[in-house]
Amino acid sequence: MLTSALSIKGVSRSFGGVLAVDDVSFEVAEGSLCALIGPNGAGKTTLFNAVTNIFPPTTGNVTCFGHALRDMEAASIARLGLIRTFQSARVFPGMTVLENVLAGGHLRTRSNPLAQMFYLPSARRDESRLRKKAEALLDLIGLSHMAEVAATDLPMGAQKTLEVARALMAEPRLLLLDEPAAGLNDTETAEIANLLCAIRDAGATILVVEHNMSLVMGIADHVVVLDAGRVIADGTPGEVQADRRVIEAYIGMEG
Amino acid sequence: MLGLIEALIGGIIQGGVYAAIALGFSLVFRVTGVVNLSQGAFSVLGAMGMYFCQVKFGIPILLSVIIAVLGTALFAAIVGATAFVPAVFRLPVSNTLMLTAGLLTFFEGVTLVVWGNQPYALPTFSGEAPILLAGIRIPTQGLWLSSGSLAIIVGLWWLLHRTRMGQALLASAENPLAARLMGVNVGRMMVLAFALAAGIGALTGVLFAPVAAIQFDSGRMLSTSGFIAVAIGGMGTFGGAVVGGLILGIAGQLAAFYVSSLFATSLSLALLIVVLIWRPAGLFRAGAVQRVDVRVNSIIHRALVRLPGRAAIALGGVLLAVFGCLPLLPLPPGVISSLAISMIIFLAVLGLDVLMGYTGQVSLGQAGFMAIGAYAAAILATTHEWPPLLATLAAMGLSLVCAFALSLVTGRLRGHYLALATLTFGLLVDSLTVGLIDLTGGPSGLVGIPSFAIGSFEFDSSEQMYYLALGIAAVVIVLLEGGMRSSFGRSLQAVRTDQLAAAALGVNVPAVKLAALCISSALASLAGSLYAFQFHFLSPEMVSTPRSFDFISMLVLGGEGTLIGGLLGALFLTMLPTLVQSLAVYKTIVSGLLLVGAILLLPEGLFGRMALFVARRWTSGARGKE
Ligand SMILES: Nc1ncnc2c1ncn2[C@@H]1O[C@H](COP(=O)(O)OP(=O)(O)OP(=O)(O)O)[C@@H](O)[C@H]1O
Ligand SMILES: [Mg+2]
Repeated sequence: MLTSALSIKGVSRSFGGVLAVDDVSFEVAEGSLCALIGPNGAGKTTLFNAVTNIFPPTTGNVTCFGHALRDMEAASIARLGLIRTFQSARVFPGMTVLENVLAGGHLRTRSNPLAQMFYLPSARRDESRLRKKAEALLDLIGLSHMAEVAATDLPMGAQKTLEVARALMAEPRLLLLDEPAAGLNDTETAEIANLLCAIRDAGATILVVEHNMSLVMGIADHVVVLDAGRVIADGTPGEVQADRRVIEAYIGMEG
Repeated sequence: MLGLIEALIGGIIQGGVYAAIALGFSLVFRVTGVVNLSQGAFSVLGAMGMYFCQVKFGIPILLSVIIAVLGTALFAAIVGATAFVPAVFRLPVSNTLMLTAGLLTFFEGVTLVVWGNQPYALPTFSGEAPILLAGIRIPTQGLWLSSGSLAIIVGLWWLLHRTRMGQALLASAENPLAARLMGVNVGRMMVLAFALAAGIGALTGVLFAPVAAIQFDSGRMLSTSGFIAVAIGGMGTFGGAVVGGLILGIAGQLAAFYVSSLFATSLSLALLIVVLIWRPAGLFRAGAVQRVDVRVNSIIHRALVRLPGRAAIALGGVLLAVFGCLPLLPLPPGVISSLAISMIIFLAVLGLDVLMGYTGQVSLGQAGFMAIGAYAAAILATTHEWPPLLATLAAMGLSLVCAFALSLVTGRLRGHYLALATLTFGLLVDSLTVGLIDLTGGPSGLVGIPSFAIGSFEFDSSEQMYYLALGIAAVVIVLLEGGMRSSFGRSLQAVRTDQLAAAALGVNVPAVKLAALCISSALASLAGSLYAFQFHFLSPEMVSTPRSFDFISMLVLGGEGTLIGGLLGALFLTMLPTLVQSLAVYKTIVSGLLLVGAILLLPEGLFGRMALFVARRWTSGARGKE
């Protein structure tokens, strides 16, 4: 069996009596691109929040690369290499697009604040290295021409892409993306799909929440379907597409 | 036993006052989501109105009360409609909070101009003789006060729950959107809540003034007590406000009875700190709990001020040359010393910029660190005859220790609670500088402080102190620029707007906040020490809480998040009253107005505007050359 990047075991989370995530267990294999899908309100975002201890699980355990995440601070989780994005793009207001990407490089900074204040050569080298990388990432997502614009002035879709670039700047081993393609048109969505494949091929593991079925089925190695807080299917895209309960859940949603 | 009962009765009376002020807070907070720091000033305005009606014009008591209360409410309605409510709609909460700090300063300025700075005691309503009940003495004004508080509580309850207007108020408090859909004009309701709270405050002040000598800045203490009461009780509930007020009043009187009245303030502050640590949301929680995954400042209303590196170097060079040459001009002697003072004060504002402008941590306690720096250095250099440089460094060390202790309380606090905790810290330091007479000389202060010296070189003229402060400021700015333009500065800014997203990227949020607080307090401490050495004299009001508010005015006026901006603010607000002596009495009013005006109309500040202009020119010029 492949080693797992993320292992979720029996995780539940309730909000004042409402069970938003109910006894969820699944594994994300290292180096895979796993998609988490489900109708609105299924508990996908809540599961992300539970994994990253923003709303810690009421019961259950999560391990990431063999480390139990229970009681860990958000920053320590990030230090393990698990980086997430948010459903409502949370770019930093008051910073430019480039600075936002650079902010993602926090964990990749080698110089300390004192060295930065005294303009030590090590700090300056560090800064120009980060800057080159950030510029390359902006180029990759096609936002180079907007580098000096206030991040919050971008349209919503671009803010979400920017957030992905910011996450990539942290060189994650495991990337959790919450609806990265929301607000994007078809070409942009295709570009994101390519980007996700490229990230996986570069060796990172991805768990992505996405509503766009063609995107998910086209690129995911593994799909987990959540409905009303429970896992109702878990397998390859082909297996999941054929699952009767998945079809029911989705028809129920559309009807 | 009798003494204890009297203390309890005194506590209930006092608690009634706090409860009434806390109700005003709660009302405005529930309808607008902002804690109005100027709430206590309404009591002072009310008392002032009463003084004029009753004492100056001899109007009968009842009519005087009505005029004073309605007059204050009307004044508040105007201020609310022109400044407060527009800010609530447009600005992030922390800026609106600063705006109310500006309003507090403005109201104080108004009182100062009208009343002067001496305390006033109004005549009691029904004679001085206390009523004797089974051997227990009850002051008659206390009866008036507690029945007044009771009337306010019952009246507010009746208004909110039994009238259409009250229902509309409550509806806009609970769900503004739904209220708007139902045709309620939410903005008007906010003005109404603000005016109503002012009326409540004024009535309290009118009843309270005969037993407490009230002066222009009493509002500050009343605001703080009321704020502490709501914080103890819980921010969003009216019951909590009342209970919190009573607890605070009784605890204060018992402390005065058992220990000493000197420590009554310290005790109420300590009580608050315990509550903030133990139950940050207060004893009674509001129905709607704020979700932790919601962003604090989703809007940054000021434009991004970014000078390209070369432009910044050029500008810095020009500024340094200009300020370096200033003393060479034939200036009157007083001006040089004001310049030196402005430059020293700028150091403290610089620190505040790192903490507030970059990291978004509201601080109403910056003067506390200035006081620690000033007193520690002065005492070490005077009583213990330490060399001034060593004394200054030791004082900075002490400030860092205090900053660390403060961060244990403030680490998890945000927004209003953070403002409250830092204000509490500042007031605690204030009460210690006055109270620890053996160490600080008490209210009369310390004399005979030597000049600052490095080795055997003494800085004994204002000109030398000016150059010293200028040199330090230049070095500090260069160092901070280096930090702010790198990873460190970005993590500060990330924490300012979105702690959750910052943490998700691996930023250690508490450590970042602590670092910002340390930088800020070290600079304030340094400024305080130099201040003491410049004046050769030190008294508590030179470094007390009003200074914290001044610093904020200076920072906002100059431009947050620009480092240099604070210099303009510091120069402006320090030099203005010295240049035009006859205007000195208007200093407070102007400072308040400038803060309010800058927050509403000039969010980037003076320097920010200038830098934006230069940056645009610079980039278009650079493009032109290509
Ligand atoms: N902080 C919270 N407090 C209370 N209830 C919450 C909270 N977060 C989520 N919920 C509830 O949990 C349930 C699952 O919500 P969640 O946001 O996880 O769904 P989702 O699958 O991400 O949906 P969507 O596709 O719309 O993003 C919903 O009923 C939601 O109301
Ligand atoms: Mg979601």
